[in-house]
Amino acid sequence: MVNNPTPVIYLNNAATTYPKPPEVLEEVASCLRLPVHEAGRTTGTGSTDYPSAAREALAAFFHAGPPEHVIFTQNATDALNLLIHGFVRHTGAPFHAITTELDHNSVLRPLTTLEQDGAITLSVVPFTNATVDLGAIKKMIRPETRLVVMTHGSNVLGSVQDIRPIAEYLHANDIFIIADGAQTAGHIPVDLADIPVGAYVFTGHKALFGIPGIGGFFISDPNAIAVTRQGGTGTDSRTLTQPSRMPERFETGTHNYPGIASLFAGVRFINTAGLSEIERTGTDLTNRFIRELKRTPGITIYNENPDLPFVSFDIAGIDNQEVGFILARAYNIIMRTGLHCAPLVHKRIDEGTGCIRASFSYFNTREQIDTAITAIREVAQSADR
Amino acid sequence: MKEYVLDEPLTGGFLKFLENFGTVRFLDQLRKPYFSFEKEQFISIKGFVGDSNVEVRYKKESQDLVADYFHLLLYYYDQGEKGILALNGQEDVIRKKMKVRQDP
Repeated sequence: MVNNPTPVIYLNNAATTYPKPPEVLEEVASCLRLPVHEAGRTTGTGSTDYPSAAREALAAFFHAGPPEHVIFTQNATDALNLLIHGFVRHTGAPFHAITTELDHNSVLRPLTTLEQDGAITLSVVPFTNATVDLGAIKKMIRPETRLVVMTHGSNVLGSVQDIRPIAEYLHANDIFIIADGAQTAGHIPVDLADIPVGAYVFTGHKALFGIPGIGGFFISDPNAIAVTRQGGTGTDSRTLTQPSRMPERFETGTHNYPGIASLFAGVRFINTAGLSEIERTGTDLTNRFIRELKRTPGITIYNENPDLPFVSFDIAGIDNQEVGFILARAYNIIMRTGLHCAPLVHKRIDEGTGCIRASFSYFNTREQIDTAITAIREVAQSADR
Repeated sequence: MKEYVLDEPLTGGFLKFLENFGTVRFLDQLRKPYFSFEKEQFISIKGFVGDSNVEVRYKKESQDLVADYFHLLLYYYDQGEKGILALNGQEDVIRKKMKVRQDP
Protein backbone atom coordinates (compact mmCIF):
# COMPACT_ATOMS: atom_id res chain seq x y z
CA MET A 1 0.00 0.00 0.00
CA VAL A 2 0.99 3.58 -0.55
CA ASN A 3 3.58 4.81 1.99
CA ASN A 4 2.75 2.01 4.39
CA PRO A 5 5.61 -0.12 5.64
CA THR A 6 3.31 -2.47 7.64
CA PRO A 7 2.91 -5.93 6.05
CA VAL A 8 -0.44 -6.28 4.33
CA ILE A 9 -3.13 -8.30 6.07
CA TYR A 10 -5.33 -9.61 3.30
CA LEU A 11 -8.87 -10.46 4.41
CA ASN A 12 -10.62 -10.31 1.04
CA ASN A 13 -10.35 -13.95 0.11
CA ALA A 14 -14.01 -14.31 -0.85
CA ALA A 15 -13.20 -11.99 -3.75
CA THR A 16 -9.87 -13.56 -4.74
CA THR A 17 -7.54 -15.59 -2.54
CA TYR A 18 -4.12 -14.17 -1.74
CA PRO A 19 -1.46 -15.38 -1.44
CA LYS A 20 -1.51 -18.35 -3.77
CA PRO A 21 0.34 -21.49 -2.69
CA PRO A 22 3.93 -21.42 -4.02
CA GLU A 23 3.29 -24.63 -5.97
CA VAL A 24 0.50 -22.89 -7.89
CA LEU A 25 2.82 -20.07 -8.93
CA GLU A 26 5.47 -22.61 -9.88
CA GLU A 27 3.01 -24.62 -11.99
CA VAL A 28 1.94 -21.48 -13.87
CA ALA A 29 5.58 -20.59 -14.52
CA SER A 30 6.31 -24.15 -15.59
CA CYS A 31 3.31 -24.10 -17.96
CA LEU A 32 4.56 -20.90 -19.57
CA ARG A 33 8.16 -22.13 -19.86
CA LEU A 34 7.22 -24.99 -22.22
CA PRO A 35 5.21 -25.11 -25.44
CA VAL A 36 1.56 -25.89 -24.72
CA HIS A 37 0.48 -29.47 -25.17
CA GLU A 38 -3.09 -30.49 -25.90
CA ALA A 39 -4.20 -33.31 -28.15
CA GLY A 40 -5.28 -32.03 -31.57
CA ARG A 41 -3.68 -28.60 -31.18
CA THR A 42 0.03 -29.40 -31.49
CA THR A 43 2.40 -32.00 -32.88
CA GLY A 44 4.51 -31.58 -29.76
CA THR A 45 4.57 -34.00 -26.89
CA GLY A 46 6.22 -34.16 -23.52
CA SER A 47 4.77 -31.30 -21.51
CA THR A 48 1.66 -31.72 -19.37
CA ASP A 49 -1.72 -31.74 -21.13
CA TYR A 50 -3.14 -29.34 -18.55
CA PRO A 51 -6.77 -29.32 -19.74
CA SER A 52 -6.99 -33.11 -19.50
CA ALA A 53 -5.06 -33.32 -16.24
CA ALA A 54 -7.09 -30.55 -14.57
CA ARG A 55 -10.38 -32.01 -15.83
CA GLU A 56 -9.53 -35.32 -14.21
CA ALA A 57 -8.37 -33.64 -11.00
CA LEU A 58 -11.57 -31.57 -10.74
CA ALA A 59 -13.84 -34.51 -11.56
CA ALA A 60 -12.19 -36.49 -8.76
CA PHE A 61 -12.29 -33.51 -6.40
CA PHE A 62 -16.05 -33.03 -6.88
CA HIS A 63 -16.76 -36.79 -7.21
CA ALA A 64 -18.22 -35.93 -10.59
CA GLY A 65 -17.88 -37.90 -13.74
CA PRO A 66 -17.03 -38.35 -16.47
CA PRO A 67 -14.14 -35.83 -16.54
CA GLU A 68 -15.21 -34.62 -20.01
CA HIS A 69 -18.29 -33.15 -18.35
CA VAL A 70 -16.05 -30.67 -16.51
CA ILE A 71 -15.96 -27.59 -18.72
CA PHE A 72 -13.54 -24.67 -18.47
CA THR A 73 -14.72 -21.07 -18.77
CA GLN A 74 -13.26 -17.67 -17.89
CA ASN A 75 -14.83 -17.60 -14.43
CA ALA A 76 -18.08 -18.43 -12.63
CA THR A 77 -19.96 -15.53 -14.24
CA ASP A 78 -18.98 -16.76 -17.68
CA ALA A 79 -20.08 -20.31 -16.78
CA LEU A 80 -23.43 -19.08 -15.42
CA ASN A 81 -24.09 -17.02 -18.55
CA LEU A 82 -23.28 -19.98 -20.79
CA LEU A 83 -25.54 -22.30 -18.78
CA ILE A 84 -28.47 -19.93 -18.23
CA HIS A 85 -28.65 -18.62 -21.78
CA GLY A 86 -27.97 -22.12 -23.16
CA PHE A 87 -30.79 -23.60 -21.10
CA VAL A 88 -33.23 -20.90 -22.25
CA ARG A 89 -32.29 -21.42 -25.88
CA HIS A 90 -32.62 -25.20 -25.54
CA THR A 91 -36.05 -24.91 -23.90
CA GLY A 92 -37.36 -22.57 -26.58
CA ALA A 93 -40.75 -21.44 -25.27
CA PRO A 94 -40.96 -19.00 -22.34
CA PHE A 95 -40.95 -20.65 -18.90
CA HIS A 96 -40.77 -19.82 -15.22
CA ALA A 97 -37.39 -19.65 -13.44
CA ILE A 98 -36.49 -19.30 -9.78
CA THR A 99 -33.52 -17.75 -8.02
CA THR A 100 -32.92 -16.47 -4.48
CA GLU A 101 -32.21 -13.26 -2.63
CA LEU A 102 -28.81 -14.68 -1.70
CA ASP A 103 -27.66 -14.77 -5.28
CA HIS A 104 -24.92 -12.77 -6.93
CA ASN A 105 -25.34 -10.48 -9.93
CA SER A 106 -23.71 -13.22 -12.01
CA VAL A 107 -27.05 -14.99 -11.63
CA LEU A 108 -29.43 -12.06 -11.13
CA ARG A 109 -28.36 -10.05 -14.15
CA PRO A 110 -28.62 -12.82 -16.79
CA LEU A 111 -32.00 -13.89 -15.38
CA THR A 112 -33.32 -10.32 -15.18
CA THR A 113 -32.17 -9.65 -18.73
CA LEU A 114 -34.01 -12.76 -19.93
CA GLU A 115 -37.08 -11.70 -17.96
CA GLN A 116 -37.02 -8.26 -19.59
CA ASP A 117 -36.68 -9.93 -22.99
CA GLY A 118 -39.79 -12.00 -22.28
CA ALA A 119 -37.90 -15.29 -22.41
CA ILE A 120 -38.71 -16.20 -18.80
CA THR A 121 -40.77 -15.15 -15.84
CA LEU A 122 -38.78 -14.96 -12.63
CA SER A 123 -39.44 -15.52 -8.93
CA VAL A 124 -36.95 -14.66 -6.20
CA VAL A 125 -37.03 -16.78 -3.05
CA PRO A 126 -36.41 -14.84 0.19
CA PHE A 127 -33.93 -16.18 2.71
CA THR A 128 -34.70 -16.96 6.34
CA ASN A 129 -31.93 -17.13 8.96
CA ALA A 130 -29.39 -16.55 6.18
CA THR A 131 -30.47 -19.61 4.19
CA VAL A 132 -32.91 -20.77 1.55
CA ASP A 133 -34.35 -24.24 2.03
CA LEU A 134 -36.43 -26.64 -0.02
CA GLY A 135 -39.68 -25.50 1.62
CA ALA A 136 -39.13 -21.92 0.50
CA ILE A 137 -38.35 -23.03 -3.05
CA LYS A 138 -41.36 -25.35 -3.21
CA LYS A 139 -43.63 -22.39 -2.47
CA MET A 140 -42.42 -20.68 -5.65
CA ILE A 141 -42.69 -23.66 -8.01
CA ARG A 142 -45.38 -23.48 -10.67
CA PRO A 143 -46.38 -26.00 -13.32
CA GLU A 144 -44.32 -24.04 -15.86
CA THR A 145 -41.16 -23.86 -13.70
CA ARG A 146 -38.22 -25.33 -15.61
CA LEU A 147 -35.13 -23.81 -14.01
CA VAL A 148 -33.72 -22.99 -10.57
CA VAL A 149 -30.43 -21.11 -10.33
CA MET A 150 -29.17 -20.65 -6.80
CA THR A 151 -26.05 -20.00 -4.84
CA HIS A 152 -24.58 -22.88 -2.89
CA GLY A 153 -22.74 -20.50 -0.53
CA SER A 154 -23.68 -16.88 0.10
CA ASN A 155 -20.80 -14.48 -0.58
CA VAL A 156 -22.22 -12.01 1.98
CA LEU A 157 -23.65 -14.12 4.80
CA GLY A 158 -21.33 -17.12 4.44
CA SER A 159 -24.26 -19.51 4.69
CA VAL A 160 -24.24 -22.81 2.78
CA GLN A 161 -27.55 -24.00 1.38
CA ASP A 162 -28.48 -27.62 1.96
CA ILE A 163 -28.44 -28.27 -1.75
CA ARG A 164 -28.91 -32.06 -1.76
CA PRO A 165 -32.64 -32.27 -0.84
CA ILE A 166 -33.32 -29.31 -3.12
CA ALA A 167 -31.54 -30.97 -6.04
CA GLU A 168 -33.23 -34.31 -5.37
CA TYR A 169 -36.69 -32.73 -5.35
CA LEU A 170 -36.08 -30.67 -8.47
CA HIS A 171 -34.49 -33.59 -10.31
CA ALA A 172 -37.51 -35.76 -9.48
CA ASN A 173 -39.80 -33.00 -10.80
CA ASP A 174 -37.89 -32.44 -14.03
CA ILE A 175 -36.67 -28.96 -13.04
CA PHE A 176 -33.09 -28.17 -13.99
CA ILE A 177 -30.95 -26.79 -11.16
CA ILE A 178 -27.77 -24.80 -11.60
CA ALA A 179 -25.86 -24.50 -8.32
CA ASP A 180 -23.44 -21.59 -8.11
CA GLY A 181 -20.50 -23.01 -6.18
CA ALA A 182 -18.21 -20.00 -6.63
CA GLN A 183 -17.92 -19.66 -2.85
CA THR A 184 -18.09 -23.32 -1.81
CA ALA A 185 -15.63 -25.03 -4.17
CA GLY A 186 -12.44 -25.47 -2.18
CA HIS A 187 -13.97 -24.48 1.15
CA ILE A 188 -16.18 -27.48 1.90
CA PRO A 189 -16.50 -31.01 0.51
CA VAL A 190 -18.78 -31.08 -2.54
CA ASP A 191 -19.87 -34.58 -3.50
CA LEU A 192 -21.68 -34.35 -6.82
CA ALA A 193 -22.13 -38.13 -6.87
CA ASP A 194 -24.56 -37.56 -4.01
CA ILE A 195 -26.18 -34.31 -5.22
CA PRO A 196 -28.16 -34.57 -8.47
CA VAL A 197 -27.60 -31.02 -9.72
CA GLY A 198 -28.05 -30.24 -13.39
CA ALA A 199 -24.88 -28.16 -13.27
CA TYR A 200 -22.43 -27.05 -10.61
CA VAL A 201 -20.41 -23.88 -11.27
CA PHE A 202 -16.98 -23.14 -9.79
CA THR A 203 -14.35 -20.47 -10.13
CA GLY A 204 -10.60 -20.89 -9.97
CA HIS A 205 -9.39 -17.72 -8.29
CA LYS A 206 -11.12 -18.08 -4.93
CA ALA A 207 -10.78 -21.10 -2.61
CA LEU A 208 -9.43 -23.38 -5.35
CA PHE A 209 -6.28 -21.19 -5.25
CA GLY A 210 -6.01 -20.71 -9.02
CA ILE A 211 -5.26 -17.42 -10.73
CA PRO A 212 -7.96 -15.04 -12.01
CA GLY A 213 -9.38 -15.83 -15.46
CA ILE A 214 -10.27 -19.48 -15.03
CA GLY A 215 -13.47 -21.14 -13.87
CA GLY A 216 -15.90 -23.71 -15.12
CA PHE A 217 -18.78 -26.03 -14.45
CA PHE A 218 -19.73 -29.66 -14.23
CA ILE A 219 -22.78 -30.67 -16.22
CA SER A 220 -24.66 -33.91 -15.78
CA ASP A 221 -26.66 -33.83 -19.03
CA PRO A 222 -24.95 -31.70 -21.71
CA ASN A 223 -28.01 -31.95 -23.97
CA ALA A 224 -29.97 -29.76 -21.54
CA ILE A 225 -27.89 -26.77 -22.63
CA ALA A 226 -27.92 -25.45 -26.20
CA VAL A 227 -24.57 -24.57 -27.71
CA THR A 228 -24.25 -20.79 -27.84
CA ARG A 229 -20.57 -20.54 -28.84
CA GLN A 230 -18.92 -22.03 -31.86
CA GLY A 231 -15.36 -22.19 -33.12
CA GLY A 232 -12.17 -24.18 -33.30
CA THR A 233 -11.77 -27.19 -31.06
CA GLY A 234 -8.78 -28.94 -32.60
CA THR A 235 -11.09 -31.84 -33.52
CA ASP A 236 -13.58 -32.62 -36.35
CA SER A 237 -12.18 -29.70 -38.28
CA ARG A 238 -13.92 -30.71 -41.55
CA THR A 239 -17.30 -30.18 -39.92
CA LEU A 240 -18.62 -26.62 -40.02
CA THR A 241 -20.87 -27.06 -37.03
CA GLN A 242 -19.81 -27.36 -33.40
CA PRO A 243 -18.96 -30.93 -32.35
CA SER A 244 -21.58 -32.36 -30.01
CA ARG A 245 -19.18 -34.47 -27.97
CA MET A 246 -17.75 -33.32 -24.69
CA PRO A 247 -15.90 -31.20 -23.81
CA GLU A 248 -15.76 -29.65 -27.32
CA ARG A 249 -19.50 -28.99 -27.23
CA PHE A 250 -18.88 -26.11 -24.81
CA GLU A 251 -15.15 -25.37 -25.03
CA THR A 252 -14.05 -23.50 -28.09
CA GLY A 253 -10.96 -21.50 -28.96
CA THR A 254 -7.57 -21.71 -27.31
CA HIS A 255 -7.67 -22.57 -23.64
CA ASN A 256 -6.34 -20.43 -20.83
CA TYR A 257 -3.45 -22.83 -20.22
CA PRO A 258 -1.77 -20.92 -17.36
CA GLY A 259 -5.14 -20.55 -15.65
CA ILE A 260 -5.92 -24.24 -16.05
CA ALA A 261 -2.43 -25.12 -14.79
CA SER A 262 -3.06 -22.97 -11.71
CA LEU A 263 -6.36 -24.71 -11.09
CA PHE A 264 -4.72 -28.11 -11.48
CA ALA A 265 -2.05 -27.15 -8.93
CA GLY A 266 -4.60 -25.51 -6.64
CA VAL A 267 -6.66 -28.68 -6.39
CA ARG A 268 -3.48 -30.69 -5.82
CA PHE A 269 -2.52 -28.27 -3.03
CA ILE A 270 -5.93 -28.68 -1.36
CA ASN A 271 -5.68 -32.45 -1.60
CA THR A 272 -2.22 -32.36 -0.04
CA ALA A 273 -3.11 -29.90 2.74
CA GLY A 274 -6.41 -31.70 3.31
CA LEU A 275 -9.80 -30.09 2.75
CA SER A 276 -10.81 -30.86 6.34
CA GLU A 277 -7.69 -29.08 7.62
CA ILE A 278 -8.43 -26.08 5.38
CA GLU A 279 -12.01 -26.05 6.63
CA ARG A 280 -10.85 -26.33 10.27
CA THR A 281 -8.46 -23.37 9.82
CA GLY A 282 -11.20 -21.24 8.29
CA THR A 283 -13.64 -22.09 11.06
CA ASP A 284 -11.07 -21.36 13.76
CA LEU A 285 -10.21 -17.94 12.29
CA THR A 286 -13.87 -17.07 11.72
CA ASN A 287 -14.92 -18.03 15.24
CA ARG A 288 -12.04 -16.04 16.72
CA PHE A 289 -12.94 -12.99 14.62
CA ILE A 290 -16.64 -13.18 15.49
CA ARG A 291 -15.98 -13.76 19.19
CA GLU A 292 -13.83 -10.61 19.37
CA LEU A 293 -16.14 -8.53 17.18
CA LYS A 294 -19.02 -9.36 19.52
CA ARG A 295 -17.01 -7.90 22.40
CA THR A 296 -16.66 -4.62 20.51
CA PRO A 297 -19.39 -2.02 21.11
CA GLY A 298 -21.05 -0.53 18.05
CA ILE A 299 -20.62 -3.55 15.77
CA THR A 300 -23.45 -5.28 13.90
CA ILE A 301 -22.64 -8.77 12.61
CA TYR A 302 -25.03 -9.95 9.92
CA ASN A 303 -24.54 -13.69 10.43
CA GLU A 304 -22.92 -14.86 13.64
CA ASN A 305 -22.86 -18.50 12.50
CA PRO A 306 -21.49 -18.59 8.96
CA ASP A 307 -20.62 -21.93 7.36
CA LEU A 308 -17.93 -20.30 5.26
CA PRO A 309 -15.04 -18.16 6.56
CA PHE A 310 -16.74 -14.84 5.77
CA VAL A 311 -17.98 -12.26 8.26
CA SER A 312 -20.08 -9.29 7.18
CA PHE A 313 -20.46 -6.43 9.62
CA ASP A 314 -20.97 -2.72 10.08
CA ILE A 315 -19.68 -0.16 12.56
CA ALA A 316 -22.24 2.27 13.99
CA GLY A 317 -21.75 5.89 13.05
CA ILE A 318 -19.41 5.40 10.13
CA ASP A 319 -20.00 4.49 6.51
CA ASN A 320 -18.68 1.08 5.41
CA GLN A 321 -16.65 2.64 2.58
CA GLU A 322 -14.91 4.91 5.07
CA VAL A 323 -14.09 1.95 7.30
CA GLY A 324 -12.59 0.11 4.34
CA PHE A 325 -10.56 3.16 3.40
CA ILE A 326 -9.23 3.67 6.93
CA LEU A 327 -8.36 0.00 7.46
CA ALA A 328 -6.57 -0.17 4.12
CA ARG A 329 -4.67 3.10 4.30
CA ALA A 330 -3.91 3.45 7.98
CA TYR A 331 -3.56 -0.21 8.97
CA ASN A 332 -2.80 -2.00 5.68
CA ILE A 333 -5.72 -4.36 6.24
CA ILE A 334 -7.63 -5.26 3.10
CA MET A 335 -11.31 -6.23 3.24
CA ARG A 336 -14.18 -5.51 0.90
CA THR A 337 -16.94 -2.97 1.41
CA GLY A 338 -20.18 -2.14 -0.38
CA LEU A 339 -22.72 -4.46 -1.94
CA HIS A 340 -20.46 -7.38 -2.92
CA CYS A 341 -22.43 -7.71 -6.21
CA ALA A 342 -25.33 -9.15 -4.18
CA PRO A 343 -27.84 -6.29 -3.98
CA LEU A 344 -30.84 -8.31 -2.82
CA VAL A 345 -29.08 -9.63 0.29
CA HIS A 346 -28.08 -6.11 1.24
CA LYS A 347 -31.59 -4.81 0.63
CA ARG A 348 -32.67 -7.19 3.40
CA ILE A 349 -29.83 -6.84 5.90
CA ASP A 350 -28.74 -3.20 5.68
CA GLU A 351 -31.36 -1.43 3.51
CA GLY A 352 -29.00 -1.57 0.56
CA THR A 353 -26.25 0.56 2.02
CA GLY A 354 -23.69 -2.24 1.99
CA CYS A 355 -21.34 -3.43 4.69
CA ILE A 356 -17.79 -4.53 5.43
CA ARG A 357 -16.80 -8.12 4.72
CA ALA A 358 -13.78 -9.91 6.16
CA SER A 359 -13.05 -13.24 4.48
CA PHE A 360 -10.28 -15.62 5.45
CA SER A 361 -8.15 -18.24 3.77
CA TYR A 362 -5.93 -21.10 4.85
CA PHE A 363 -2.98 -18.68 4.78
CA ASN A 364 -4.35 -16.23 7.33
CA THR A 365 -3.18 -16.49 10.92
CA ARG A 366 -4.64 -15.90 14.37
CA GLU A 367 -2.19 -13.04 14.80
CA GLN A 368 -3.60 -11.35 11.69
CA ILE A 369 -7.12 -11.75 13.06
CA ASP A 370 -6.05 -10.17 16.35
CA THR A 371 -4.38 -7.26 14.55
CA ALA A 372 -7.51 -6.71 12.44
CA ILE A 373 -9.72 -6.76 15.54
CA THR A 374 -7.52 -4.17 17.26
CA ALA A 375 -7.80 -1.92 14.20
CA ILE A 376 -11.57 -2.36 13.95
CA ARG A 377 -11.90 -1.50 17.66
CA GLU A 378 -9.91 1.69 17.15
CA VAL A 379 -12.17 2.69 14.26
CA ALA A 380 -15.33 1.82 16.21
CA GLN A 381 -14.18 3.76 19.28
CA SER A 382 -13.19 6.73 17.15
CA ALA A 383 -16.51 6.74 15.26
CA ASP A 384 -18.35 6.68 18.57
CA ARG A 385 -16.86 9.97 19.78
CA MET B 1 -12.48 8.16 -8.24
CA LYS B 2 -9.02 9.66 -8.48
CA GLU B 3 -6.09 9.50 -6.16
CA TYR B 4 -3.97 12.64 -5.94
CA VAL B 5 -0.48 13.00 -4.53
CA LEU B 6 -0.13 16.56 -3.23
CA ASP B 7 3.06 18.64 -3.05
CA GLU B 8 2.73 18.88 0.73
CA PRO B 9 1.06 16.81 3.44
CA LEU B 10 -2.50 17.83 4.37
CA THR B 11 -2.86 19.96 7.50
CA GLY B 12 -5.55 20.59 10.10
CA GLY B 13 -5.75 24.14 8.68
CA PHE B 14 -6.92 22.78 5.36
CA LEU B 15 -9.73 20.88 7.12
CA LYS B 16 -10.83 24.15 8.78
CA PHE B 17 -10.90 25.72 5.33
CA LEU B 18 -12.96 22.81 3.95
CA GLU B 19 -15.58 23.29 6.70
CA ASN B 20 -16.69 26.44 4.87
CA PHE B 21 -17.89 24.41 1.91
CA GLY B 22 -19.32 21.10 3.12
CA THR B 23 -19.38 18.45 5.84
CA VAL B 24 -16.04 17.51 7.35
CA ARG B 25 -15.64 14.39 9.48
CA PHE B 26 -12.43 14.19 11.48
CA LEU B 27 -11.42 11.08 13.43
CA ASP B 28 -8.31 12.12 15.30
CA GLN B 29 -8.00 9.13 17.63
CA LEU B 30 -6.90 6.70 14.94
CA ARG B 31 -3.36 5.58 14.19
CA LYS B 32 -3.49 8.21 11.45
CA PRO B 33 -5.99 11.09 11.87
CA TYR B 34 -8.63 10.48 9.20
CA PHE B 35 -10.80 13.06 7.54
CA SER B 36 -13.52 13.10 4.95
CA PHE B 37 -15.11 16.02 3.18
CA GLU B 38 -18.54 15.59 1.64
CA LYS B 39 -20.49 17.84 -0.63
CA GLU B 40 -23.52 15.84 -1.60
CA GLN B 41 -24.02 15.20 -5.32
CA PHE B 42 -20.78 17.04 -5.99
CA ILE B 43 -17.52 15.84 -4.48
CA SER B 44 -16.09 13.78 -1.64
CA ILE B 45 -12.51 13.75 -0.41
CA LYS B 46 -10.90 11.22 1.93
CA GLY B 47 -7.46 11.19 3.42
CA PHE B 48 -5.30 11.52 6.51
CA VAL B 49 -3.87 14.64 8.08
CA GLY B 50 -0.12 14.46 7.60
CA ASP B 51 -0.42 12.44 4.35
CA SER B 52 0.10 13.70 0.84
CA ASN B 53 -2.29 11.19 -0.75
CA VAL B 54 -5.99 11.95 -1.03
CA GLU B 55 -8.84 10.09 -2.68
CA VAL B 56 -11.31 12.29 -4.51
CA ARG B 57 -14.65 10.99 -5.77
CA TYR B 58 -17.11 12.67 -8.07
CA LYS B 59 -19.77 11.70 -10.56
CA LYS B 60 -18.28 10.29 -13.72
CA GLU B 61 -20.36 12.50 -16.01
CA SER B 62 -19.01 15.69 -14.41
CA GLN B 63 -15.54 14.60 -13.38
CA ASP B 64 -13.74 17.17 -15.53
CA LEU B 65 -15.72 20.04 -13.98
CA VAL B 66 -15.46 18.84 -10.40
CA ALA B 67 -11.78 17.96 -10.68
CA ASP B 68 -11.30 21.68 -11.34
CA TYR B 69 -13.13 22.39 -8.10
CA PHE B 70 -10.68 20.23 -6.17
CA HIS B 71 -7.77 22.12 -7.67
CA LEU B 72 -9.45 25.41 -6.76
CA LEU B 73 -9.80 24.26 -3.16
CA LEU B 74 -6.06 23.80 -3.00
CA TYR B 75 -5.42 27.07 -4.82
CA TYR B 76 -7.68 29.27 -2.66
CA TYR B 77 -6.69 27.68 0.64
CA ASP B 78 -3.85 30.17 1.18
CA GLN B 79 -6.04 33.23 0.54
CA GLY B 80 -8.15 33.19 3.74
CA GLU B 81 -11.53 34.95 3.71
CA LYS B 82 -10.98 36.22 0.17
CA GLY B 83 -10.40 32.66 -1.00
CA ILE B 84 -13.64 31.46 0.61
CA LEU B 85 -15.68 34.11 -1.24
CA ALA B 86 -13.95 33.44 -4.53
CA LEU B 87 -14.49 29.71 -4.23
CA ASN B 88 -18.19 30.05 -3.44
CA GLY B 89 -18.57 31.92 -6.70
CA GLN B 90 -16.62 29.25 -8.58
CA GLU B 91 -18.82 26.49 -7.17
CA ASP B 92 -21.94 28.22 -8.52
CA VAL B 93 -20.33 28.45 -11.96
CA ILE B 94 -19.44 24.74 -11.93
CA ARG B 95 -22.90 23.71 -10.74
CA LYS B 96 -24.50 25.73 -13.55
CA LYS B 97 -22.29 23.98 -16.08
CA MET B 98 -23.24 20.62 -14.57
CA LYS B 99 -26.93 21.50 -14.84
CA VAL B 100 -26.55 22.49 -18.48
CA ARG B 101 -24.81 19.21 -19.18
CA GLN B 102 -27.54 17.28 -17.36
CA ASP B 103 -30.48 19.08 -19.03
CA PRO B 104 -29.16 20.56 -22.25
